[in-house]
Amino acid sequence: MFDPHLSDDDQPRDHSPVRLSFEQGTLTLCGVSNDLIKKVFEPAQWVFDVRSQSYRTDAYQYREVVDRMKNRIAGTFQDEVPDWKPISIRQPNLHHLRADQTEAVDAWMKTRRGVVVMPTGTGKTEVALQIICRLGCSVLVVAPVRDLMYQWHERIIKATGIDAGIIGDGVHRVSPISVTTYDSASIHMARIGNRFELIIFDECHHLPSPMRQDAALMCAAPYRLGLTATPQRGRGKVENNDAYDEFLGPRVYTQAIEAARGKTLAAYDVIRIAVHLSDEERSRYTRLGKIVAKYISDRRADTPDYDWKALCRDSGHSPEARRALVAFHAKRSIEDRAADKLRIIEDLFRLHAGEPVIVFCGSNAMARDVSLRFLIPCLLSHCRKRERQEILSGLREGRYPAIVANRVLDEGVDLPEVNVAIVVGGGAGTRQALQRLGRVLRKNQFGGAVFYEIVTAGTRDELRSRSRRSSDAFRVKSC
Amino acid sequence: MLTNEQSILHFDFHSQVVKPDRLVRTSHAHYLELSRRLIHVYQSSVGEPRKVLHRRVQQILQPIEDCPTRRIAAFCKLLDDESVYAKDKAGAAAKLRSRVFGLAAKRHPLVQSADQLFDHCESIVKAEIAAEFGRPWDEIAGQLFNDVIEFHPLKTPPLDLQPSDLLSRYNVAQTQTALYGAVSMTVWAKQDFKNILRYAKLARLMHSIRRQDDTYVFRFNGPASVVRSTKRYGVNFARFLPSLLAADDWRMQATVVGPMKRRFALQLSSHDGLKGRIEDADFDSRIEEMFFTEWHGKERCGWELTRESAILHQAQTVFMPDFTLRHPQHGEVLLEIVGFWTPEYLRKKAATLERFRRSGRILLAIAESVNESIPDLGIERIVYKSKLLPKTVLAALNEMV
Repeated sequence: MFDPHLSDDDQPRDHSPVRLSFEQGTLTLCGVSNDLIKKVFEPAQWVFDVRSQSYRTDAYQYREVVDRMKNRIAGTFQDEVPDWKPISIRQPNLHHLRADQTEAVDAWMKTRRGVVVMPTGTGKTEVALQIICRLGCSVLVVAPVRDLMYQWHERIIKATGIDAGIIGDGVHRVSPISVTTYDSASIHMARIGNRFELIIFDECHHLPSPMRQDAALMCAAPYRLGLTATPQRGRGKVENNDAYDEFLGPRVYTQAIEAARGKTLAAYDVIRIAVHLSDEERSRYTRLGKIVAKYISDRRADTPDYDWKALCRDSGHSPEARRALVAFHAKRSIEDRAADKLRIIEDLFRLHAGEPVIVFCGSNAMARDVSLRFLIPCLLSHCRKRERQEILSGLREGRYPAIVANRVLDEGVDLPEVNVAIVVGGGAGTRQALQRLGRVLRKNQFGGAVFYEIVTAGTRDELRSRSRRSSDAFRVKSC
Repeated sequence: MLTNEQSILHFDFHSQVVKPDRLVRTSHAHYLELSRRLIHVYQSSVGEPRKVLHRRVQQILQPIEDCPTRRIAAFCKLLDDESVYAKDKAGAAAKLRSRVFGLAAKRHPLVQSADQLFDHCESIVKAEIAAEFGRPWDEIAGQLFNDVIEFHPLKTPPLDLQPSDLLSRYNVAQTQTALYGAVSMTVWAKQDFKNILRYAKLARLMHSIRRQDDTYVFRFNGPASVVRSTKRYGVNFARFLPSLLAADDWRMQATVVGPMKRRFALQLSSHDGLKGRIEDADFDSRIEEMFFTEWHGKERCGWELTRESAILHQAQTVFMPDFTLRHPQHGEVLLEIVGFWTPEYLRKKAATLERFRRSGRILLAIAESVNESIPDLGIERIVYKSKLLPKTVLAALNEMV
């Protein structure tokens, strides 16, 4: 009779060689006895998988696994994991590094793993490119968004002359030197995790979310570099260093923002401008506010601790709660898109006529409002690569006097040198504002830089701005 | 498939069961009419931007007492999935923007009222640009952001979609969202094994197989699942679900990680009335089909013939013989028919048979023309010419038992 368990004993386990392979983002080990596993590895480092009749573990363990096996099982195992090819950089074209950058490179090269913490705008990319050229091995760069991915692509061409592969944004071109985004990396790493000897996580504070961690867990690259300006994940949260230590290695170099300020970053002022709602906007705003307030106070008559969360929950089944929610969003939209903001932007354009200006908006809708009102290009997430480049080079070369952008440009996107930035409303948190600031205001030919913040008076817009300014990177000059 | 933002799941902490949102005839009869109206909105709005369609759907569903925001969003997504939008693949909007912004750049800043320093008035500049294009400004402004998803115009609405289909799709889609958080899935099946395994494999899932009498127990998850609990394969389970729904005679339980990382069970069976969509796999060849039809004409000495009802497996390799013959006294014999195939196929078949030859009692029926291609594996074999006859098989069975 058919015995479903017979097959388990059928495997010629004892005779086959010890074999380490990469399978779908994991490592598998065949041809070893349980005793050997116990002797050579930490407990629970490997799990026996009855489905494949082999031991299995996460791919990121590769370096340690190989080290242990080389030391303990002398030369008798087949390592089928690496599928990496050397890259040849004939004449690297690198910037001369500053002392602090060299220090960061040297610190990392000692262990070939770990995190480098440097403020935005102080040349983290240069550090990474130096490392890429020194190692000359296959490398994957993981960036937070596709703009940054393309930016890495450009920087790599300039520095190495190599047209890197792109994985993401509808492209899937894997080559020994490639760039990708966190989202694409976590999807595709199971298939490509053994094709790179070095992996670089740009803005690596993005890593500690469960889905994105797969980008690190499922990659077998022995050499790992994390780059970040802000190692913490949002305010008030305990630093999640464990995740870095485990996947990337410990912090090997740290430069504080204070040290960089005024030295490599431009000296800047923050000027806050309050705008007022028009009578019509104000009356709509008040009316919508009343809908929300009445709904909540009605509920509180029965349930004293009725709160925002409860409202969101109830909007599931109660049409009144739904109406209150819609009113709330309409209110937010009035704050965000107050007509007066456009008037202030006009004033600032007049004031800084002849200087390149970047306007940041908290929403796509507002960014399009600004774009339509002033007929200036707008960088939104839907823009394709060519249009983005055209807009950015247009600003750089003076073909465009000003551009407007939404949060696409929050992090790391190399912007042309400008000394005027206008941030319009929006609910950005400290980290976002900090990084945004660093992006916009680089040390430039104009010397000092100005940063305007336009908020709607007497609304939640103002509260958000206040919490933003509690960060020490902001020094508000006047209101 | 829906996104997490469109998903409605009820987690019962007491029974530790997750129940996906479901619209049923008894309690949601009014949704049939609503669904008809929604389809009508789409059918009568060709050319309108996606944003407007969604607003119209909202207007219909917003006042409905029992229609949560997420359900509204889910209906929009399902209707969008059945429609075709013009996505501006040629980049017409981007070209238009580039021209407009290029023309305006020299006149920056556009001011509300011109003065001596800044003499480019917004309305005048826009009128000038419109004149250059030979089209009214409002029309240009309306097309400037046509490539943004919310502004894509509807090209083809769902033409043949019935209201009941939309509801049935809604129910399946919500059940799929429960699986996004799943870490493993177990299926107890009495039929359709081949389809179940085939589609699980297509969804890149790994399996382990157990047999309990006439039921096979399949446990599905992904490579990394043995190392750590991961929701990574949730989407794979969701993708697999419609194929499972198309099978008969099964039940399923998935382990879903819910709020506060607690574990919940999602339970389904072929009697739940959810409808799946796949094309059914038919007989591998005419030979098998003819043999099957012919067998059922007469009494066969107590032997009962079923199709693909036994599974032999080693690690991730599965072998499903074409037929199983069962006898109350003599037990089970597996019948594999090898017909006229390519040399590669025959080599692979020989390797599989070699691998599984000791896993069960196998009877091989080989076409005369390829008999030489399969070496002697120590497996009973019968050779047929153009047609496999039941009596030949019965004779071989008598010798085996």
